[in-house]
Amino acid sequence: MKYHLITLGCQMNLSDSERVSSVLESMGYERTENEEEASLLGMLACSVRQKPIDKVYNKIAQWNKWKNKRNVVTFVSGCLLPADKEKFLKSFDLIFQMSELAQLPDMIREYGVVTPAGLRAPQPLMPKNEHIAEMWHIKPKYQSTYEAFIPIQNGCDKFCTFCAVPYTRGREVSRPSGEIIDEVRHLVNQGYKSITLLGQNVNSYGLDKNGEEINFAELLRQIGEFGKASGEEFWVYFTSPHPQDMNREVIEVIASYDCLAKQIHLPMQNGDEHILIKMNRRHSMDKYRRIVADIRELIPQATLFTDIIVGFSSEGEAEFQNTVAAMNEFQFNMAYIAMYSPRPGAASYRWENEVVTEDKKDRLHRLSEVLKIHSRAYNETLVGKTMRVLINGTDRKTGFSTGLTEGKLIVRLDRQDNLLMGQIVDMKITSAADFSMSGELQEVFSQNNQ
Amino acid sequence: MMNLIRHEIKIDESFYKVEEIRHLTNETFSLKLPKTRFAFKAGQHISLGIHGDYQSREYSIYSGANDENLEVLVKEVQNGYFTPKLRKLKAGDLVEIHGPFGNFGMEPKDAEAGKFVFIASGTGIAPFRSMVRTYPEIDYTLIHGVRQSTEAYDRNEYASDRYILCSSRDTKGTYHGRLTGYLKGCTFSPDTHFYLCGNSDMIFDALEILKDKGFERDQIHCEVYF
Repeated sequence: MKYHLITLGCQMNLSDSERVSSVLESMGYERTENEEEASLLGMLACSVRQKPIDKVYNKIAQWNKWKNKRNVVTFVSGCLLPADKEKFLKSFDLIFQMSELAQLPDMIREYGVVTPAGLRAPQPLMPKNEHIAEMWHIKPKYQSTYEAFIPIQNGCDKFCTFCAVPYTRGREVSRPSGEIIDEVRHLVNQGYKSITLLGQNVNSYGLDKNGEEINFAELLRQIGEFGKASGEEFWVYFTSPHPQDMNREVIEVIASYDCLAKQIHLPMQNGDEHILIKMNRRHSMDKYRRIVADIRELIPQATLFTDIIVGFSSEGEAEFQNTVAAMNEFQFNMAYIAMYSPRPGAASYRWENEVVTEDKKDRLHRLSEVLKIHSRAYNETLVGKTMRVLINGTDRKTGFSTGLTEGKLIVRLDRQDNLLMGQIVDMKITSAADFSMSGELQEVFSQNNQ
Repeated sequence: MMNLIRHEIKIDESFYKVEEIRHLTNETFSLKLPKTRFAFKAGQHISLGIHGDYQSREYSIYSGANDENLEVLVKEVQNGYFTPKLRKLKAGDLVEIHGPFGNFGMEPKDAEAGKFVFIASGTGIAPFRSMVRTYPEIDYTLIHGVRQSTEAYDRNEYASDRYILCSSRDTKGTYHGRLTGYLKGCTFSPDTHFYLCGNSDMIFDALEILKDKGFERDQIHCEVYF
């Protein structure tokens, strides 16, 4: 009895997929990457962008053709807009919200069952997250033995005009801090080295509980205290925070504990004040500047990552130049730069898309060149230094491995050794490139995974 | 054959019955709903949908936090998808509400201790009516930019010396012209906090005028309508 699971979209869906796998494997299903040998075919879809949704339609059409030849059950869940859910009801056997995951075994046993969400007509405009805690209680089937994601929060209340997440994941709901810390403890005891706290707005953590839950800074502090007492070497990251809810206290806590990784991903989205307002980002450039100043002051060694959208509605060359200026000012180590594309369900989807594709491509290219300069300049300062590096992959070049520094900078190693995988090792940086470095292995310190 | 498990379908607590449509002009109306099942802070917004429709829109709350009803202020967009449907709603029709959202507005403890200038274009006046109704002692000046003075929604609720109507297409306002023209000629106390709400062009212009007057960005709070 095998299942095949396709996960589309962001890290939240990836994290959710680990819990779906866990539920299915507890029922006796075995995962297969070959969909043709699976009797249960599922997808965690993403309505936030059009391309993944197109992929869902193509895939389910193929799967439904197979039903003429053999018995297969299909399901879909994930980050779905109400309109997409309604359409999927006609083509999938099962559709459920992630908060209903605990009931998935019953649904599969009663093949053909429509879930309570499916019976509700019409679909609610926002998913109800009241049972999300039941999903969090499901122990995930981690995909790695040294890197793991821990969901700490679900949903978004921010309503950025370019984003549909409030309508796919519902309101912000925080997971109980005790569960989060237990999961961190469990992972560290298992030898995990890289743990990422996950949520749409991780630093809004606790705000939905009106004082009955600790805030994000305190959550980090408690994880930091555990890390200190454990004596283990591991790195805890978080993504994504929103500048609106970022404060100096969070940065002070990160600075205080070794296990809280000195890498901060702070989405800026745009460097122009007016575009930020039009994006409904609810933070000014001054606020963003103050946060970066606090990071530079309190954690000077921290690397800084960001997200940027170019070509947003009404962005002209002058506005774009403000983003270039911001890129030069903040000297990000990495920026995930995306060309704006209207997303169904988002407010800006209803606007005229005024920036032509050629201009978007041109801005993406020019901004990437600016990023390259700063990334390379930083990498060059590390040449000759010895860095702690988590070996986490094999390079495309035969005989090479890749790893990440605590600051998530890529380091290539001219050696491939399975025993190194998942280990934090000392590497001397020997050369720097635009977005990576090369290094030599110094000594293996950590002996963790079997 | 498909085997359905029947679940009890409860009335979702997100649904509310429309009580009244209060027409303020030919295009603008207030949708009056029962008091929400959640508390909100003046300045926050809700997500509003129509029962049976997948679309929704965000609206600032027009009523005060302690009022008996929830109200939102809506201007019909000609040939739009959503607002013409809202306008056709009748008493008893169901709408779906989620919220409250946002952090536009002052903390209640600060509301009656500071000086505030509210700057609104058109229906951007909604959060300010909510603030004025919620905090009766608030020290405010409301500068409202409209095309016609008939768009001075519920103007008699504001003290006449606190409400400045800038009307660009007639002379019945306090000031004839755009609100940004009026704003340029104003002087304000250095500790004033400014709240801007309305279309993005007005917000961009007013923001730059206030920055030119020497006010810090942190003193200027923006809520864009889209």
